[in-house]
Amino acid sequence: MRAEALKGHLDGLILATLADGPAHGYAIAHALRERSAGAFDLPEGTLYPALHRLERAGLVASEWSTQAGRRRRTYQLTRSGGSALNERRSEWRLFATAVEAVLA
Amino acid sequence: MSWLEEFEQELQARRIRPDARDRLVAEFADHIACEQGTGMGGELTRLGVAREIAGQYADELGSDDARRGALAVFAALALAAVALAASQLSLGQLSRYPGFDHGFSVALSLPAIVAILVGPQIALVAGTLAAWRALRRRRVAVLPAAEIALVRARARVALAAGLVTTTGLLLYTVNFIGVLPAWWLALSGTLAAGATAALVAARGALVRSSATVVASAGPAGDLFDDIPALRWLRGRPLALCVGGALLSGVVVTIAEWHAERSLAEGLQRGVFEALALSIGFAALGRLIGARR
Repeated sequence: MRAEALKGHLDGLILATLADGPAHGYAIAHALRERSAGAFDLPEGTLYPALHRLERAGLVASEWSTQAGRRRRTYQLTRSGGSALNERRSEWRLFATAVEAVLA
Repeated sequence: MSWLEEFEQELQARRIRPDARDRLVAEFADHIACEQGTGMGGELTRLGVAREIAGQYADELGSDDARRGALAVFAALALAAVALAASQLSLGQLSRYPGFDHGFSVALSLPAIVAILVGPQIALVAGTLAAWRALRRRRVAVLPAAEIALVRARARVALAAGLVTTTGLLLYTVNFIGVLPAWWLALSGTLAAGATAALVAARGALVRSSATVVASAGPAGDLFDDIPALRWLRGRPLALCVGGALLSGVVVTIAEWHAERSLAEGLQRGVFEALALSIGFAALGRLIGARR
């Protein structure tokens, strides 16, 4: 799937990935690829601006840890992020149902 | 040059502030190390184009910072408004107010009174427009560079006008040393100093928000995008100016007539108000997006 098609959905996908628990950027990219069976193969660099944007919006929080001598930023969903994710899920279900009804 | 070095250079070119830059570079370094650990080190192209990612980050950060800067200025202006109102209302507690021109020196009282009358109005208009644009466009990840410049300009004008106001209030207070009671001087001086400190702090947020280089294309928009009810005046700056001056002049005339029980005084203040608004519109209208 082209990265362009993911625009507008990336924030929701990241929030959904973090709903499973805290993760760092690489792990989020890996989870997105795995859970979509390779369909979401976006340029992974675009994840980080999105993560920072979500953090500025208060939807995720992050903290540094050290892993094998490297600094690592780990992200987790905030309460607002959980609410935003539920909202996006509802919107998506409505949208998907409507598109399905038209296309089917 | 490695991908990471190129990325860091691009972030520097966009003048991303050092704390954010260091954090991003550390996160990408960890990402690349993870890939190398899984034998995917040769596939750095998965990260994308360094310039595009740095650009995307700068455009989003600049947009967000511009909005925050505008709201910080507005919050500081609200504090300044409370300080000014409290200082002036507390004058009513005095048994006798000698009049603004009966203080230490007219050289102090005149600039003080002009600053107190004109400054808040410019601050109110520019600050409200900046904050309204920031709120109205809060869900847009990337604002056009021109729009960010407009938000920053409005916030700068509002901040300068706010500082003129609090400086005027300080002068006004100093002018009454030895004339008005010590408690009022202490109250008014403290309020003015506190409001000035809040504005100076907001200036820091504004300066910080202005550093990032944003390159996103698109129009700045203008006053008429912010207040659709005025769209019929777009392209008619003279009508907008005259209408605004007349309206504010009439409102001030009636208010002062009522407050001072003198139509002559009301008219004097009303004409001053209309003139001040016209001059302000001519001088600052383009800067704050009220005319082209």
